[in-house]
Amino acid sequence: MVPAVLVRGPTPAASSRHNGAVPITLEPTEVMEPDIDEAVAINRPWVVLVWNDPVNLMSYVTYVFQKLFGFSLEKATELMLDVHEKGRAVVASCGREEAEMHVFRLHEHSLWATMEHDGPSS
Amino acid sequence: MARRRKFVAPVEAVRGGWRITLDDEERNLLVRLMDELRALLTGPDDNELIRRLFPVAYPDDDEKEAEYQRLMREELVASRLAALDSVTHTIDPARSSELLDEGEVIAFMQSINATRLVLGAMLGITDDESADDADATDSPEHHLYDFLSWLLEWTVRSLSPT
Repeated sequence: MVPAVLVRGPTPAASSRHNGAVPITLEPTEVMEPDIDEAVAINRPWVVLVWNDPVNLMSYVTYVFQKLFGFSLEKATELMLDVHEKGRAVVASCGREEAEMHVFRLHEHSLWATMEHDGPSS
Repeated sequence: MARRRKFVAPVEAVRGGWRITLDDEERNLLVRLMDELRALLTGPDDNELIRRLFPVAYPDDDEKEAEYQRLMREELVASRLAALDSVTHTIDPARSSELLDEGEVIAFMQSINATRLVLGAMLGITDDESADDADATDSPEHHLYDFLSWLLEWTVRSLSPT
């Protein structure tokens, strides 16, 4: 059986927005680096995204959204359809720690979730 | 999606919990699948078949991603294994008359879905088109995939607020 590469990685459409915010380290070192950009970026919220995939059932995704985020059936269905039709949906906007918790719980349910900084970086 | 016709829902909410109505052959099949998934999860990290079970959290930031995986991957493996153990316990043919609690049904749902994802990877289901092709293909693996989809639909239905 030839294993398939399921995760192609989300298209880095948003990465251009981060130009200038991501520190470019030419020579990685073991030394602790002061992360100035982290301090600048701290006030920008993080968004949790869920990406379309061909395996997860629509009913399942809707249920997981309701359960993890307390959304109504209508809201959960709307977000599920966004994922299905537009390829992704923002399901939460919050601080980094909370976003990581959401991502972890979505991963526990095998949804394809990622997180990134919201809005322009400048 | 193919669905088997059956008169009794395989998973249903009843007074005092959830009831799973599957025959011994189906239960033993699920126990075997849980064993196989457990072997995959405790095997090499870089197995392509389980890659989809451990998605990237920070696609734009390699450093944060490495940190996230370092802290969370083990926890995610542990969570998945705990769910598998729960299913192996609750699906045992010897316990077919016992009701499940909500946590056990959720573990069942998560594990069935994880199995579908691995099977989907084996069958090369990578986009909506290949998913449609898979629907139309006739092989034991495709039948198994359909069976798990059918089971998952009923499980979700049994958990959804009415």
